[in-house]
Amino acid sequence: MLRDPLTKWLWDGRRSLLGWALAVVVLGAGYAAFWPTIDSPAMRDALANYPEALLEALNYTDIATPDGYLSATVYGLVVAILLLVYGIGAGARTIAGDEEAGTLDLVLAHPVSRLRVALQRFGALVISIVLLNLALLVSLLAISGPVGLDGITLGEYAAMHTHLVLFAALFAAVSYGVGAAFGSRAAAIAAGAAVAFLGYLANGVLPQVDGLEWTRNLSPFHWLTGGNPLRNGIQAGDLLIMLGLIVLLVVLGTWRFERRDVAV
Amino acid sequence: MTDIAIRTQGLVKTYGKTRGLAGLALEVQTGEVYGFLGPNGAGKTTTIRLLLDLIRPTSGSAQVLGIDPQVEGVALRARTGYLAGDFLVDGRQTGRQLLTYLGNLRGGVSKDRIGALAERLDLDLDRKIKGLSRGNRQKIGVVQAFMHDPELLILDEPTSGLDPFLQQEFAKMAREATADGRTVFMSSHIMSEVQQVADRVGIIREGKLVTVERVEDLRERSMRKVVIQFAAPVPAEEFASVPGVRDLTIDGAVLRCRLDGMADTLVKAAARHTVVTLSIEEADLEELFFHHYANHGEAGDAA
Ligand SMILES: Nc1ncnc2c1ncn2[C@@H]1O[C@H](COP(=O)(O)OP(=O)(O)OP(=O)(O)O)[C@@H](O)[C@H]1O
Ligand SMILES: [Mg+2]
Repeated sequence: MLRDPLTKWLWDGRRSLLGWALAVVVLGAGYAAFWPTIDSPAMRDALANYPEALLEALNYTDIATPDGYLSATVYGLVVAILLLVYGIGAGARTIAGDEEAGTLDLVLAHPVSRLRVALQRFGALVISIVLLNLALLVSLLAISGPVGLDGITLGEYAAMHTHLVLFAALFAAVSYGVGAAFGSRAAAIAAGAAVAFLGYLANGVLPQVDGLEWTRNLSPFHWLTGGNPLRNGIQAGDLLIMLGLIVLLVVLGTWRFERRDVAV
Repeated sequence: MTDIAIRTQGLVKTYGKTRGLAGLALEVQTGEVYGFLGPNGAGKTTTIRLLLDLIRPTSGSAQVLGIDPQVEGVALRARTGYLAGDFLVDGRQTGRQLLTYLGNLRGGVSKDRIGALAERLDLDLDRKIKGLSRGNRQKIGVVQAFMHDPELLILDEPTSGLDPFLQQEFAKMAREATADGRTVFMSSHIMSEVQQVADRVGIIREGKLVTVERVEDLRERSMRKVVIQFAAPVPAEEFASVPGVRDLTIDGAVLRCRLDGMADTLVKAAARHTVVTLSIEEADLEELFFHHYANHGEAGDAA
């Protein structure tokens, strides 16, 4: 422990990470536990009477299948939002928050390059996102049998989680990148929140308007569950877009961070 | 090897329109304690953070231990110890955890070394930092700066928050470091804080180095304050001609003057009368120093 900026970042965030894991598990497994109420003839009839547009906006078109249900509720909504909030907060803390607290100065006065500090911390952040995903996966696997959410293979779960990790890491990269570039925690959080809001609109609301269906392709929410990885496995195109944006944001933010003054 | 530890030339730093440094030329020799004095906002912290590559100069150059901080910052910082003017750390960890981590960033510092320094400064390493008093937090800062025995210590107001006993202990640590041939560069607002420990002092004002003096030279040049209380009024003529006496005033039975050089003639002259009390006060270097550089005709001294 406490060997380098990576382990230190994880160690410092251990309590908060535990809290987030708890939230992800409780909400994720909690939603999964409601599956039997959806998976009933009465509910199917009710859903059949809903306007198609509304179901689409809520991403509920497939809700009566196990993968459709998990995609629409857990992976595409509650946990997605939890993890993006986690990603934005942690990304903002990684450089800008530490800098504004005046505590970044000390580490950078040691024989470590800014590049190393920044990248190791972002690496730690990605690891923490993977850990949260593992917590969710384990709890869903545990509860799926008892509630009858069957038919999803481990490979399909893995594909879904790959998408979710990159989705959360993308929001982390937005706030990390803006924070590293400008040293402002508020700007970092604002940028992450703006991307989340616009992404949500572009995925669920704007496509309702004729001629604006294409906006969906620009939404991180679409890259997350649009291709339904829980049924169709890895969606390489979506993953590559997210990965490419993450790399771009991290490179730009870190590049600027290496060249600017560090505030006291 | 070079015998100059720090050299800056024409160092300029501006923050937008605000002046940080206005062409600082500094030369610190290896093995000395250099006191870097100046009023608030003079540019001390700016200088120090430039030397460590935490901020980048607008123009000018710096060489620290023969290294350009902007080119080989990592190698440079491996050989320096730094204490910020405002030593801030995450309070949710103990001193030991923090110091272990910082030591690891330097490739490891032995537990014994950390323990010995903590004991010397009477610092409890096992308490959460947020529960420590300001002075105790500052001690952690001192330990992390000294623990790896760096060649160069760059300390921004190191004794702020420390009680007089610890200031003494700090001064000893700084002297010990230079006894090993290491260099100490420390900033301060006040002369009295650095005069026991520094070999030389430089004064910075409005981003420029105004003057540099050897503390020893200042002491030699300095005049002691003398106050003698006699039993009865004494004639001024008797003392006005005593060698070394300056600024003589006689107020009834009380004589006040400044003394430059030996006290012998003055004491013998006073002995002709009944002396009630006699005090010879060590010179105030601060006064002399500021007096001296004010006479060099530096403008902009409105405050
Ligand atoms: N980040 C910054 N942005 C704008 N101005 C700055 C910044 N940092 C320093 N300055 C300005 O640069 C000047 C020098 O500041 P500096 O902190 O170096 O002074 P100092 O000598 O350390 O003062 P003190 O004794 O109060 O610590 C000041 O006028 C200050 O307002
Ligand atoms: Mg300062």
